[in-house]
Amino acid sequence: MKNIIYKVFLFCTVIAFTGCELQEIDNPNAPSVESFAEGASQADVQLLATGLEAVMRNDLAFHYDTESILAREYYDLTGVDPRYTGELLKGPLDNNGFLTTRSFAAWYKIVKSANILITAVENSQAGFDDATKNSYYGYAKTLQAYALLMVANRQFDNGIRLDVSDPDNLGPIVGYPEALTGIQALLAEGLTNLNNASDAFDFSISSGFAGFDTPATFAQFNRAVAARTALYQGNNTQVLQFLGNSFLDLSGDLNNGPAHVFGLTGNDISNVQFHVPNQSGQEFMIHDSWIADAEAGDSRVAEKSNLFLVEGVPTTVTFDGLTADYQIALYDSNTDPVYLIRNEELILMYAEAQIDINPALTVGAIDVIRNAAGIGSYTGPTDSTSLIEEILRQRRYSLLAEGHRWVDLRRLGRLNATYVPLDRSSDNIINAFPTPFNEGL
Amino acid sequence: MKQNNLTNRIFLFLLLLPCFVFAQNTITGKVSTDNGDPVSFANVIEKGTTNGTTTDIDGTYSIDVTNLPAVLEYSSLGFTTVEQSVSSAGVVNVSMAESAQSLEEVVITGLATSTKRSNAANAVASITANELTGVTTQSGLDGALYGKFNGAEIKANSGSPGGGISMRLRGVTSIFGDQQPLFIVDGVYVDNSSIGFGNNIVSQAAGGGNPSSNQDDASNRIADIDPEDIESVEILKGASAAAQYGSRAAGGVVIITTKRGKKGDAKVSFSQTVGVRSPTKLLGLRDWDQSEIEGLGGPSNFNLDNLRDYEAELFDHQRISYTTRFTTSGAAEKTDYFFGVTHKNEPGLVDNTGYVKSSVRLNIGQKFNDWLDLYVTSNYINSKADRGFFNNGNANRTVGYALAFTYPWENLSPVDGVFPQGGAGSNVLETVAITTNREEINRFIGSATSNVKLINTDHNRLKLVLQGGFDQYTLRSTSIFPRALSYFRDPTSLGGVAISGSTVNTNFNLSAFLVHNLDLDNGLSFTTQFGNFLQDFRRNTVITIASGLNGSQTNLGQSTNVSTQQTIIPQKDTGFFGQTEINFEDKIIGTVGIRGDKSTNNGDSSETYYYPKANLAINIHKFDFFGEDGVFNSLKPRVAYGEAGRFSNFNDRFSLMNAQFIDGSSGVSPQNLRGNPNIGPERQKELEYGLDFGLLNNRITVEVSSYVKTIEDLLIETNVPASSGFTSTTKNAGELENKGYEVGINAAIVDNDNFTWTANAKWWTNDSEITRLDVPSFTEGGFAASLGTFLIEEGSSATQIVGNFIAADFTAAEIAAMDPDGDGLIVLGNAEADFQTTLFNQFSYKNFDLSFLWHWKEGGDAINLTTLLTDLAGTTFDYDDTGVDPTGQLSNGDYRASRAFADTALVVEDASYVRLREIGLYYTFPDGWIKFTDKVRIGISGRNLINIFDYNSYDPESSNFGNNVLANNVEVTPYPASKFVNFHLNVNF
Repeated sequence: MKNIIYKVFLFCTVIAFTGCELQEIDNPNAPSVESFAEGASQADVQLLATGLEAVMRNDLAFHYDTESILAREYYDLTGVDPRYTGELLKGPLDNNGFLTTRSFAAWYKIVKSANILITAVENSQAGFDDATKNSYYGYAKTLQAYALLMVANRQFDNGIRLDVSDPDNLGPIVGYPEALTGIQALLAEGLTNLNNASDAFDFSISSGFAGFDTPATFAQFNRAVAARTALYQGNNTQVLQFLGNSFLDLSGDLNNGPAHVFGLTGNDISNVQFHVPNQSGQEFMIHDSWIADAEAGDSRVAEKSNLFLVEGVPTTVTFDGLTADYQIALYDSNTDPVYLIRNEELILMYAEAQIDINPALTVGAIDVIRNAAGIGSYTGPTDSTSLIEEILRQRRYSLLAEGHRWVDLRRLGRLNATYVPLDRSSDNIINAFPTPFNEGL
Repeated sequence: MKQNNLTNRIFLFLLLLPCFVFAQNTITGKVSTDNGDPVSFANVIEKGTTNGTTTDIDGTYSIDVTNLPAVLEYSSLGFTTVEQSVSSAGVVNVSMAESAQSLEEVVITGLATSTKRSNAANAVASITANELTGVTTQSGLDGALYGKFNGAEIKANSGSPGGGISMRLRGVTSIFGDQQPLFIVDGVYVDNSSIGFGNNIVSQAAGGGNPSSNQDDASNRIADIDPEDIESVEILKGASAAAQYGSRAAGGVVIITTKRGKKGDAKVSFSQTVGVRSPTKLLGLRDWDQSEIEGLGGPSNFNLDNLRDYEAELFDHQRISYTTRFTTSGAAEKTDYFFGVTHKNEPGLVDNTGYVKSSVRLNIGQKFNDWLDLYVTSNYINSKADRGFFNNGNANRTVGYALAFTYPWENLSPVDGVFPQGGAGSNVLETVAITTNREEINRFIGSATSNVKLINTDHNRLKLVLQGGFDQYTLRSTSIFPRALSYFRDPTSLGGVAISGSTVNTNFNLSAFLVHNLDLDNGLSFTTQFGNFLQDFRRNTVITIASGLNGSQTNLGQSTNVSTQQTIIPQKDTGFFGQTEINFEDKIIGTVGIRGDKSTNNGDSSETYYYPKANLAINIHKFDFFGEDGVFNSLKPRVAYGEAGRFSNFNDRFSLMNAQFIDGSSGVSPQNLRGNPNIGPERQKELEYGLDFGLLNNRITVEVSSYVKTIEDLLIETNVPASSGFTSTTKNAGELENKGYEVGINAAIVDNDNFTWTANAKWWTNDSEITRLDVPSFTEGGFAASLGTFLIEEGSSATQIVGNFIAADFTAAEIAAMDPDGDGLIVLGNAEADFQTTLFNQFSYKNFDLSFLWHWKEGGDAINLTTLLTDLAGTTFDYDDTGVDPTGQLSNGDYRASRAFADTALVVEDASYVRLREIGLYYTFPDGWIKFTDKVRIGISGRNLINIFDYNSYDPESSNFGNNVLANNVEVTPYPASKFVNFHLNVNF
């Protein structure tokens, strides 16, 4: 009898065990994107704002490396991934390869992050007043426009999407001029927001934005980007107008400007555009012509290049039929900042915009740059073409590896073998990245 | 119950009574195995009568027969039945041979039941302890399975000590899901993860971003199981056999049963194995001449005699390994036990690498009374694997990668204790000497099973089977790249890196089943089971990376920068399973069953997914019309159908945010994967049919199977437009089909007193096809199209390898034929073998035993990027040979290097091989040869002693990306494979 009681008890235990229901498991590793869409707190929104600034640095090196290599500013002769000396120099670019897609995705990740921030602020439960909301909107839209401008420059005539707020219903791909118009409009919206914003940002912005860390000063950065956009649009009047509201300072520090800052702690990331001097595996080598074409005594050469030494002996680096003697040394450490835009570029933009308006001011601005480089004032002819050539030359040395040469040559109709050295018979000039294959999905 | 037993005993007594009364001729004797061990509880029957008895614990028996001469039939589970003519009363001792695959063996067909193999409707592969480890010593369970059952593709990921294999049963069963089978050890769901070290910061194998990549050459955790503890392994290769495991069974199921004490005298045995490990193949130096040296920037007038063969310095070693094993087992009337201890020390080919493992097992069974018993298994494993720093890297720091770029005129030896930098990006001698890549495991696996007999009558039996299992391990991975490394000396470098990973994995599973047996008088019997289960899995991995080490310190705290990454993977499954097996006199056996599964891993955790099964086997030879005298002794057609599933990855449901950190502030940004809240499991439907037959008194048995396996709702990680801010999402968006054939033949070729020869041949083939794809065709796996990748497209094999070609090599018409869609990709090969076959032979002559296992894989291509790298460096061993260039103008190396990244066909190579997987020769000393010992056995054996292949690198088996991926055949400068010669001493007391 006792046995039967045991057995019935056991049997009941089993039946009870049958009624098991499962609870949904939240992901314990990270918050979800959706969780910010409705009812975000102030702390949530602040995380998004900081995340937006931080994510701008992801894959930044891919962008600068690919554009610089296309313009033959430097080569990647490490041999680690031969596509840098093959596909990138010879073409055609694979529309589904990382050279095309990685930076494209990185810039749009910034656009997405800004959209998430804007939505979170709109639907937040933090009780933000309009001025505070405007500070977020102005910040987000300015960085969004910056990212779109960068990706538009890569894609050029192949075009970009401007409206990507709904991943299930993406806007059309528009051509380069239309993209620039859209970016200019977005910058103007951002400016309006900043102008109607609170006195200070509601979130922490990194020391890279020192001097641009209030809505009012951030607006100067916004205008600098607008000026760059106008330059690409060929609207010199607007360039000068926007520069006037930017942080242009003809007598100021050439390196003044907002920057990406790096670190090595925790989830921070390092500046991978820094290359350890003379170390094998780090052969990012400046094109020999950049050294050869420099005017004697140009301090920018010594500053940005390093004669490659192996065991103390200058050594020519060779890979895949390409050779070079100087390693790029734009950055001095793996935490050196990378500028989003800086005064040196603004001065050169100013010079360029003045060519057809007031050439004397052009020469004055060129001289600011030349004297800073220790090569004395400009003495050449002052016709438009000569001045454009001189500005292009100064941009080549002042803005080495900062993503300008390829864009400049293209917009000035000089993306040809005269300006782009083709070192091997199979090398070609590429003027735009193809639309990534996945955009057609 | 008591009442019943009493009735039974009286009945038995009455049955036996006449024997005693009329007994005239008493035959006594002992039944023993070939080795002299007693066979307890063997049946002894006077043939043609109902007169019979069983042997006792010591194997002795006594039977009275009415008439002489008589024929006695001796049978026991796991042994070949013996018939013996007896002409006079007296002592008749009989020896029974253990049968390699006895028809009376049982195979698992439910979650709580099994059926006789002769009644099974599936080709379930079984591997006995003898087949698993009887020929030679194995480093781990993974290696022990090679070539021992058909329908499988098993590959070693690398030659690193400590294992790491990928195993696919009946073809590719998923593109993105976990391909590996489910492992069940004594009812415990055993984790088989492969967890990366976090070495990406140093190797930069996966570009920026994720600290841990699948290119870290981590081992997988099934390697922890000690193969010596295993009694049998059963492999359910597809859904038709494995449906009872539901949504975890799409990769097949490997069911492992460990050893249990057997009735008889307590057995004590001790064995010692000493092995010699050496490389299976080394590539050697290029035939350098002075101009080639100078052409690559080497010194002029270099004395060619002084070229250093760094490959040989790194790999060409003979390493002595030891395996020591002690076991004791036994059983009394109500209690049985098995205790086994193994300690193994296997140094690797490369200095400072090796594998040390200790495993302790205690299995105890206890019967409490006639309705309740309990069986408890427990296993503790402690292991340490120093795996070395190999595989792909993008900073020339892994040993293999740097070796490819190391020139033999360089002197990399330390000067005053400091290693020179070397031209390759790192100094291989330095990397081997001072870096560490270690995995340490502490693991406990335990289970408890209890049978409760609720009803026990002649026709009607009901029992409750309760089972619980627990698997917990702590994996500690340690990677140390000290500041002293030449590439970390510069103050602007990372300044040394120490990575500490710790994973705590806890699985537990509980199940309760009711099993009902009903035997009807009309010959029908029913075995029904119904029950439910709960499984809980939780893995928590923390990887901490410290850089900027203080001087020579390697402690994480002694560093400038520390970052941490944590990944938690929780999962809970629950559900039920029920099935009924209907058996008509062992002639017709049919089963129907269904499993229902819910899981937190599905988009909707409350949705139940159902996995049905049904099968039928007909033993034609049991019917009366099947005469006794035909060629066939047995003939069984069978058909089985079943469905099983595979979960999506835990993260597939979620669009998550990445943590960001800038200038002291934290933030978040969206990840690349767009979550799909509607994601569900893959569903595999398998239909298997087969025919089993026995010839010549079952001395030859043949098993032929064919299957069609369809995987619906294929999980596809597909790209989305990157302008959305995401780059990929996972969808159920395709269908994959595998078709294959398997043949197994067992033959007892010679069987007499002094000499026996058994052979066992297996042959199998599989073909896959993507039958439907709802997303555009895409490439997956490998590095890039120019380096060989897989193209997943509708209507093609899932394992086709594609790549680029040089248009100038072909005419426009040829190109149009090769590349009809004009995407620049052509099919260059297929990873799937045309067929595989194995041949196992076992000879016994007097006290000698010789066994060997050949394994032939025909076809199946691999992607060899090692040769590509050495070609680019100019160091390939065959660089100066000719033959590859069809015009005969360029040397092999020049030709390949000139076409690198353009002519992908050059990296896709045939990975066929013929291997002597195992060979063993043993001698058993006669009984009592040494005092106090029962049996002494010595032997010599080998693993992979003969390897024949055309593949142009170390070994055609290699996987840079580890086990759980489609592209498990990409080689990038791996740890070379080894062969072993082992010497054995085995003593039983």
